[in-house]
Amino acid sequence: MSGDRSPLRYAPWLARDVAMGPGVLFLVVIAVVCAVFWRLSQGAQNMFPITAELIQVNMLNSVIIIAVLIAVGGIVSGDAHNGYYRAFFSKPMPVWWYYLQRWILGGIAVMLIPVVLGLGLNLVLGEGHGITAALMANVAIGFLLVGGAVLLLSVFTRRDWLIVFVVATAQRAFASFIEVGLPVNEATKMAWQALPPFHLLKPGSPMLEGRPLLHAVGYGLAMTVIALVLLRVRPLGSGGRA
Amino acid sequence: MIAFNDAGKTYTAVLTRKRVDALTGFTMEMRRGEVIGIAGPNGAGKSTLISLLMGFLNPTAGSIRIDGSAPRPWVEAHGVGYLTELVNLPPRWKVPQALERLANLAGVPANARRARVDQLMTQLGLVEHASKQVRQLSKGNLQRLGLAQALAGDADVIVLDEPTHGLDPLWTQRFRDVVAELRRPDRVIVIASHNLDELERLADRVAILNKGRLQRVVEHGAMTVSPASLAWRVAFEGDVAVDAVMPAARRVEGRAGAWVVEASRTEMSAALGALLGAGAVLVECVPAESGLANAFRAAVQE
Repeated sequence: MSGDRSPLRYAPWLARDVAMGPGVLFLVVIAVVCAVFWRLSQGAQNMFPITAELIQVNMLNSVIIIAVLIAVGGIVSGDAHNGYYRAFFSKPMPVWWYYLQRWILGGIAVMLIPVVLGLGLNLVLGEGHGITAALMANVAIGFLLVGGAVLLLSVFTRRDWLIVFVVATAQRAFASFIEVGLPVNEATKMAWQALPPFHLLKPGSPMLEGRPLLHAVGYGLAMTVIALVLLRVRPLGSGGRA
Repeated sequence: MIAFNDAGKTYTAVLTRKRVDALTGFTMEMRRGEVIGIAGPNGAGKSTLISLLMGFLNPTAGSIRIDGSAPRPWVEAHGVGYLTELVNLPPRWKVPQALERLANLAGVPANARRARVDQLMTQLGLVEHASKQVRQLSKGNLQRLGLAQALAGDADVIVLDEPTHGLDPLWTQRFRDVVAELRRPDRVIVIASHNLDELERLADRVAILNKGRLQRVVEHGAMTVSPASLAWRVAFEGDVAVDAVMPAARRVEGRAGAWVVEASRTEMSAALGALLGAGAVLVECVPAESGLANAFRAAVQE
């Protein structure tokens, strides 16, 4: 078969899927947030300061994990479960490359959240946008870590997003126990340390540096690369008709 | 072009470690220019065989090669025109969009894609369903969409799994015409089907599977007339006493003038000659069971 073998030929369709799925949802939530803060800024202007930076930080601290789960949850397992992979991957398109493109587009959608939110807040508050280099870097690291975990789990199970959500929530809760000095036995602490460092995801904090930065980026990259290698070598089918 | 060499697939349950041999010791070569049929009862291993060929499963024994390469790298490099038994596509995609997306994935160049989609929609009778979403299609129309997407690229390997599943008789006939047009010297076409009549009409060779094993391969020449049973179905206008010439002949209940006769070709010719000489008017005389049907029955009873 000859023809267009450009590796990016299907990317516009994938971008459209991301825009019409998670993208629309993110836009609706951002619009609601902007509307709420516009109302608050009108009625309570002198009671407490509402700044774009404050809203950005609090919003992203709360929703970063959920946003990534919405953007890439079920990325591989959904197609495998529904049987779509049979039509998609009978075509000359490497599986790992297809899902890498889809994953990156999901990441772009997540990265656009602070940008669009900043623009919206600037519009409704009249000043500031709250977008900083640290915020963007932390969101990118957050996507790499959570998105990498989802991609890896998605190769095996349809519950990828649920497992990441539960583990991330438990892991972050556990980190706060340790921070306040609650007694924790050594085995539990070791298990916690072996898990992806979701507790480092704090978009509102200064940019990660040194060992925590390496830990988060290294873990995220490793999960992503392992997922892509598995997609390269592991068949998608699980049975004759599955 | 495609070589199965002692290929096998065993599924092992994770918890109980129970093993199921879906396919065992399958060896066969499929050459360019051939149409190969795969027949077998439910659970015979047809779908597993196709999943192995597409690289959606890895064999647990033996090997499969397409032009000397493992199936998945070959499919990812060249593409296969593949119609699945159950056509699964995202339900909200509209019919032309589904075809355009899959033609894009198949590597149809952007400047030719629209024309290719229009051609496929016309060829497979999908034009009147252009405004529908995939989820709104009937079984037969979905099957035609599945066939259209399989033909979107100009693949050297075409794999059709139960291609006439859900098609009405008119489209079943048109499907046969489409497959006949697909035949070319540098292409291999693999058709898995329960429909022996379909395989008999289309395939050069038919591999009969049962219980995960290749029972036999029937060549086209051996499919048309049964060498073993020599049962014939004959019918005449009016009430002709066939049993007067051939005492073993039995009337077909509910069909006036129709008989089933067991005889060699020579005996049948002689009997027909006698009856026609006596003024009988022949309506039909066909083998009651084809060689393929006969081989299939024998294979699954073994």
